[in-house]
Amino acid sequence: MIAEPIIGGHGFSVTLPATWEGRIYQRPTPSAAFSPRNRAAPGSNLADAGAGWLGEQTRPVLHLGNFALPADRGDYGSGAVETMGPQNTFIAILEFGRECLGTALYASVGLPRVSPEGFDPNALQRRIPGQAGCQFFFTEQSRPMCLYVVLGSGIDAPALSAQVNMVLDRIRVAAG
Amino acid sequence: MTAVVVIETVILLVLCVLVLGLLRSYATVLERLHRMDGGLDGDPVGSSVPAGGSHPTPGTARPLPFPTVNGVMAPPAVLPRDGVSDHDDWAPAHDVVGQGLAGDIISVRTVAVEHDTVILFLSSGCSGCAGFWEQLADRRGVAATGSTRLLVVTKSSDEESVGLLGALRPPGLDLIMSSSAWADYAVPGSPYVIVVDGPSGRVKGMGSGTSLSQVSGLMQQAYGDGASAPVLGPVNPGPGHRMSRSTTKPIVKPRSDTERETDVDTALLAAGIYPGHPSLYPTGSPSTTRPGAAR
Repeated sequence: MIAEPIIGGHGFSVTLPATWEGRIYQRPTPSAAFSPRNRAAPGSNLADAGAGWLGEQTRPVLHLGNFALPADRGDYGSGAVETMGPQNTFIAILEFGRECLGTALYASVGLPRVSPEGFDPNALQRRIPGQAGCQFFFTEQSRPMCLYVVLGSGIDAPALSAQVNMVLDRIRVAAG
Repeated sequence: MTAVVVIETVILLVLCVLVLGLLRSYATVLERLHRMDGGLDGDPVGSSVPAGGSHPTPGTARPLPFPTVNGVMAPPAVLPRDGVSDHDDWAPAHDVVGQGLAGDIISVRTVAVEHDTVILFLSSGCSGCAGFWEQLADRRGVAATGSTRLLVVTKSSDEESVGLLGALRPPGLDLIMSSSAWADYAVPGSPYVIVVDGPSGRVKGMGSGTSLSQVSGLMQQAYGDGASAPVLGPVNPGPGHRMSRSTTKPIVKPRSDTERETDVDTALLAAGIYPGHPSLYPTGSPSTTRPGAAR
């Protein structure tokens, strides 16, 4: 019997099921502006400046996946979803600023659950053949958030979405 | 006369005490050296597994998955159990939970996963780790590729210099600060390398060395060309270090070529142009697909 690790921080807590790993982080406030041009410049070290754009207010992010999450990932999983296999799933929950509270986009209350028919390749941040995604905006514990899910195979959405809901059941969000 | 005899007797007694103390300290040193050589408690010295050798000792230990070089601490031998498969002989592995350098909370699976994991236990301050950090920072340096994952684990932030680690950690390298992982794997010191067999969730190799390439070489020698051998390859699985499909042997290019091609790749990736992107093949369909497309 393998113990299920629990990770917690930044107001999130998750009990990870077997094969799932997770990361909770908040990017440091960027101290320098960057663009794709200087991002690709030889010798640039974005770790020092912080990824993002100058003046950005960073918020907590939770990433979960049943595959090896790479060290460098975008908030919406870029860098990770490209490595997914057909049976892999990626979940991102991103918090937004309190100015979003009460707005129509975040009117839905509570961490949503996904359904197979809700997944669409067009919902992906960037389309990758075979994959499908979905996105929800909601408010949980007075914290405006976004749930973004990517399935490795849209064809297997019924089985994979059930896994997603099983993991979502294990997420706890502390009051903001 | 009596006084002289008494003085000589006292001197003799003092010398005897000194000699006994020296013999005892000598025995302690020998015992510690014996343990460092991988000897088991209670075993005669001659029956221990020597450093640099991977031969089995009948009835006491199974062969080490890969040997360590002379002068480097050998991993403890694993006692076999009757009626179990080889994989059950390996020590159980542990998932790694810790913190990243930016305070992020990280949980990494090493057990019951499809891929193997090479865990490098390093420190920001140890002199023996310099070779590892240097190779990891080099664009042509080695890291896990294919189905093998590379993970650098240091002690927790209260026992490490986070600032120094931040300077040492190259971009893209998975680094976790976790003293509990050091305890789980009973790491004797840094640098130390542990190879975890993902499907069985057991440790199939451990040891030390002076650089990543040296450890990689030892593992390659020990595993041969077997499919289960963890293959250490390039950080950037791009143009600089393609793996030959027929031999899984890395093709190493000159550093300037590698860096130039990596720069071009980085610029293309930043612009969202992956292998197989239509703009790369204006006259026909690509023969390759980008990652994740082969399904």
